[in-house]
Formats: sequence, structure tokens, C-alpha cells
Amino acid sequence: MSHQHCSRWAAAPHRAPFSRPGWRLWPGLIIACALVLLATAGLGSLILEASLPDLSEFWRNRYLRTVVTFTLWQAFLSTALSLLVAVPLARILARQPAFPGRSVLLRLMELSLVLPSIVAVSGLVSVYGRQGWFTGLANDWPGVSWNLYGINGIVLAHVFFNAPLATRILLQAIESSPAPQRRIAVQLGLGRWLYWRAVEWPAVKPVMPGLAALVFTLCFTSFAIVMTLGGGPAATTIEVAIYQSLRFEFDAGQAALLAMVQLVICGVLWWLAARHGLTSSLLPDRRVASHRSKAGSTVWARLGDGAILSVFVLFLTMPLIAILLRGLPGLDLTPALLDATQRSLAIALPAGLMSVSAALLILACAGTASRPVVIRLTNVAACLPLMIPPLVLGTGLFLLFRPSLGSSNEGLVMVTLINGMMALPFVLQMLSGPMGSLDSASRMQADQLGVQGWYRWRWLHWPRMRRPLALAMAYGTGLSLGDFGVIALFGSPGQPTLPVLLYQQLGSYRIDAAAGTGLWLVLLLLLLFSLFNRLGSPLFRAGLKNNTSRILPEPEHA
Amino acid sequence: MLEVTNLVFAYPDQVNPWNFNFSASPGTCTAIHGASGSGKSTLMNLLAGFLEPQSGDILWQNKSLRHLPPWERPMTSVFQEHNLFEHLSVEANIGLGIHPGLKLSPENQQAIERSLQRVGLEHIGKRLPGDLSGGQRQRVALLRAILRPQPIMLLDEPLTGLDSEARDLLRQLLLEQKARGAVIVLASHDEEDRRILADNVCSL
Repeated sequence: MSHQHCSRWAAAPHRAPFSRPGWRLWPGLIIACALVLLATAGLGSLILEASLPDLSEFWRNRYLRTVVTFTLWQAFLSTALSLLVAVPLARILARQPAFPGRSVLLRLMELSLVLPSIVAVSGLVSVYGRQGWFTGLANDWPGVSWNLYGINGIVLAHVFFNAPLATRILLQAIESSPAPQRRIAVQLGLGRWLYWRAVEWPAVKPVMPGLAALVFTLCFTSFAIVMTLGGGPAATTIEVAIYQSLRFEFDAGQAALLAMVQLVICGVLWWLAARHGLTSSLLPDRRVASHRSKAGSTVWARLGDGAILSVFVLFLTMPLIAILLRGLPGLDLTPALLDATQRSLAIALPAGLMSVSAALLILACAGTASRPVVIRLTNVAACLPLMIPPLVLGTGLFLLFRPSLGSSNEGLVMVTLINGMMALPFVLQMLSGPMGSLDSASRMQADQLGVQGWYRWRWLHWPRMRRPLALAMAYGTGLSLGDFGVIALFGSPGQPTLPVLLYQQLGSYRIDAAAGTGLWLVLLLLLLFSLFNRLGSPLFRAGLKNNTSRILPEPEHA
Repeated sequence: MLEVTNLVFAYPDQVNPWNFNFSASPGTCTAIHGASGSGKSTLMNLLAGFLEPQSGDILWQNKSLRHLPPWERPMTSVFQEHNLFEHLSVEANIGLGIHPGLKLSPENQQAIERSLQRVGLEHIGKRLPGDLSGGQRQRVALLRAILRPQPIMLLDEPLTGLDSEARDLLRQLLLEQKARGAVIVLASHDEEDRRILADNVCSL
């Protein structure tokens, strides 16, 4: 240690590349502005093209009123039921930290976010449809008559998708309650009800408004489920009505009016949720710690918890098993299937990459910006794709770029762009936690050491972000791979993607082939997830003597 | 010479702002002494540039540092805890003090190895901070501060909570830095630290 302190110092002897604040601020700000501009332009061009009908028509037109009322009703019912299922399940999973298959169950629950609706619906039909396993059993009971089509099926499918997601988020909230509080509650021997009041409810309460808003929005804007299980005009949602207006009635004005109604309702909902303490983590974190409580330790408690969990596991896995069993005989790698696979991947991979890149830049911008208006702009840009129907956005943009859009390939570029936008809110939620996980002490140290710009990304963020980035990429790509919204409008029937091919096969009663395509789509998703999971693992440890940094530990349950 | 003149700062809900004044020459240690909440850590953060003062100035060799960002100031800090990046090895944590992008020459790497040997930690270079004891972590943090070519060391309770062996070793290292001409500003509750290390005491 022969270092002599210099009396003159050289300011910032090693300036990091991209270390000026502008590099963090401007790209994200430009993307956020572009998103807001694209959404406004999309909606605006539709309104201009269609000359928006008189708003009073909304009150006079019985069909429009029915559509909006039904959309609100089914979304309310789906949200209430999903949360009613999720709260007890999350509590059970929290108090039963070690049972065989717990980690597999948690992984399965994550899958529900990206499982293509149209594939899940085919599984649900196999179980709850006219010829389904469950229907056979249910109709044997006197006085019971079960029909999947209509509001029954829509709500059931929404609960199938959203209850697991809500459970994961609530479980995470319960597990993040302060450990000393939990230990004291256990030491005091609190029973279930008091444990809920003292420990679990305070942890769950802040998450509830945002979670309810998220589930409501997902159900409110649901498209493929209502298209396939709606069963008629009485069970039509706004999103499906927009599709019908654009595709069959060529009534862009009505589509624009419905889109604005949807935007206003979702906007008000998110504003209310934000006012009541919307929390930032609305996607399940994979790091779930476990703890024991007295409430879950007796034999009877374990038996009761086990019974409820078994019913839930059956509810979750039966449609998946049906997809597997029905799909295997029909799985035939025909040129049409391989073509559709290639087309789907050509859309989904760039869409995933776009959503992840945009999310990173927007988060960097939000973290750098000091002006509230910029932070608000990034928040709006992040939420906007959840509120504006992709069909409306797509149609508006199509009308806007129509003179220069020639081939169907250009339509696919549009689909890629919109799919990337639609995945953005989910990807953003997934990355915002890890991106902000650098504590203030580390930030201060890094600032003083000059670990800025590229160096900060390389040495401080990348080891924390590598795994979440891979997971976000998998989700972004998976959401686009299963898209049956924008593609239904813009896709050419002769050049289908996998979900469109599946829909065509269902429409022409080639049920076995449809089941095979559904299974193929699920297998592709699983392959994608394991591939990105592999990419997220450190194959090489780069840096100082190849042993400089370590990726953050694998989550406990993973 | 480090001069702090009328450096005024208050947190948003604070009624009476702090007003800091002191000066320190090269090769001396100035101890900042005061009760909890008296502003010791705030002063350290102001000097390092982590907080923005409302008025006043910080001069080093008659040049104002007030508007310089932390990475351009001639200072290096060691806090009571959280000095190390948990996912980086000990060697990498020290290496960041030499080059913020960890572009280290063989000479740099040898310097890191020698410094670890000097404090009896030659076997832990590849370990992560989480695997070290509190005393080992502070020794690593101090090594990084020493290997940074900056003339002012800001030490915020760096020896608190350590066993006597670790304290003796770190005190020895700090005395060596002082002898080499470093300006040390030490915030400490401990009277023995002040007696052994400090040339001046500034009470808050």
C-alpha cells in the first residue's frame, strides 16, 4: 500500500460511457411521448375518419347500453369471484410453506398470465362444455343444468385466468409482511382470524385497490374469451362489439364511441385505484419466502387446507390435462402448422424485444427525471395500452398509415408494434422492482466511485436484472405469441398465426386438429420460458478473473 | 486545505437549520463529535455531494466543490455499514475504487492482492461480502477508500460495532493514511477513536 495522497486531484479520471443524465432521460422520454402520441393518433384518426356519432346516441341505442352494462357486470362478477378465491388460497399457501408440489403449483399459477386465452378456452370446453367431464357429472345431479356458453363460461374463464394471478400477488404481499411481526404473532399463538387481522390484512390491504383494478381491467377488456364463450348478442362486451363494428358492420364511428367509453371507464378506475394507494408490484415476484404459523400447524387445519388446495389444483389442472390428452392424438407437424409457428415467432420475438427495451428505457427515464410532469407522463404511457383497446389502436393506426401500407407484411409489422405496446404494462411491472432495487447506500457509493452510465448498468444493474429481464422477455413474447386480438382484425386468413389457425380449425369443426394446435402452442410457450430461463442463468461469470459478480440468488421456491 | 464555510442545510420539516464551519489541513484528522441527530452524517453527506446545501461553500485548495457531483469531488467515503456491493466479489468491490468500469491492469490486480495481504484477508478475494464478518467487511471498505487516489477521506462511524482486534488494525491503517498526507474527517461517538486518531475535534 504505497499510495501517496495527491494534493491535486484529477476530476473524474475515468468517465464512464453514456454517463450523462441525458442518456438515461431522453430515450425513455421520447418512447413515452411516442406511445402517448401513437395512442392519441390511433384513436384520433378513427374519430376523424368516422365522424364520431352524437354522444346522446349512446343513451338512445339499446344495443350500446346493453353491451356496456354487460361488460361492467361480467367484469365486476369475475373480479369479485377471482378475489374471493384468491384471498383464502393465498392465506393457505402462506401458512403451508412446505408441501410436495408447492413450487410446481406456484409456477403453474404464473403460467396463467401468458396461456393463450383461445387455448385455455379449448381446455375449459373439454371440461365444462356440453360433452365435458364436469358437465357429465354436474348434470347427473337433479335440478342442475349447466351451460358453459354465456356469462357462466365468461366468468369461469376469467376466474381460471385471474384467480391464480391474484393469489400469487396476495401471497407475495402476505409474505412481505415484517418478519418480526409474524414471529410475535406466532409466539402469541394467534388463531386464524386474529392472525388475519393482525398480520395478513395489513399486508394485503395496500395491494387490494391496484389488484382489483388490474383484474377488472383484464376482464373488462377481455376479447378472445368472450368471442368464443359469449354465445350471442346478449353476452357481448365492448371489445367484441368494437371488433364486430369494425369487421362486419364497417362502422368506425360506433367503434370509436365504444373505445372512448372503455377508455373513460378504465381511466376512472385506475385513477381511483391510484388515489387509494396503488402499489407498484402488481406482478408476482418469484421471490416468495415462507414462514410457519400456528393457524396452519394442526392436523385438522392441514387436512382442511389440503382439501381446498386439491379442489383448486383440480380446477387449474383439469383444462391443462384436457389440452394435453386431446391434443396429443391431433398433434401433426403439418406444413401449415410450421408456417403458422414461423409467422407467430416472427411477430412475437420482436414484439417481446420491443416491449422489454421500451420498458427499460422508460424506467431509466422515470428514475432520472426530477420533474413531476415527466414522471406522470411515463406513468400514463405505461398504463395507456391497458386502457385503449388494441383493436381500436390498430384500426386507427391502420387508417393513419393507410396510404403507405401496401402488403400484408406491413400489416404484420403493425401487429408486432401493437403487440409490443400491449405487453408493455406487464413487462414494466415486472422490471420496475429489480430496476429500483439498488438501495440508497449503494447508489451513494456508486456515485462517489464514478460507477455511472454503462459501468453502472454493467456492474450494478445487470447482475440484478439478468433473470427478471429474461423472464420479462418470456412474458412479452408469450403474450404476443398467444394474441388473438389485433391479429384477428389484420391477419390475412391465408397467412394465419398459431391462434388464428386454431380459431379457423375450431370454426371448421376440425376439433382434433385444433386441440393439436393448442397443445403445440402451449409446448412452444413452455419451450420459450425454459429457453429464456436458461438465458437468464449465468453461463459465464465475466469480469475480474472470471469470478467478479454473482447473479442474485435463485428465489426460494424456484 | 479543506475549508467548510457557512454551509447551511435543513431537512424539509426542520425548524433550525445547521450551519457548519471548519477547516482541515493535509495530514490531519478532524473528528466530528455530537449526539445522535446532531448532524454528523448530514455533514458527511454534504461534503461528499450526496446532499445539496442551501448556502455556504466547501473549498479544497481554494477551489469551490459545491457544484461538483460526488464522482468529481476529491473525496472517498466509508460508512458504518452498507459500503460494499453485495453481488460483487471482494476483489471487484476494491477494484471499483481504482476503475469504475473494473478495467484493471495486472499492476492494479497485484495492488489489490497486496493490500488484502496487508490486512490479513488474502484468502477472501473471491468471496462475496455476505460471507464476511463485520470487521472483514469494514477492512475491505477501507482498502477501497485507501486505493482510491483521492486526498480527503470521509469516515462516518467506520469502527462502530467492531471487535477490538479489527478496530486496532483499522486505526493503524488510518494513522498511516494520515502520515501520508490524507485529510481525514471522522464522525465518531467513540472517545478512544478520537483520542488516538484526531488532531482536532469539531463539536456539533
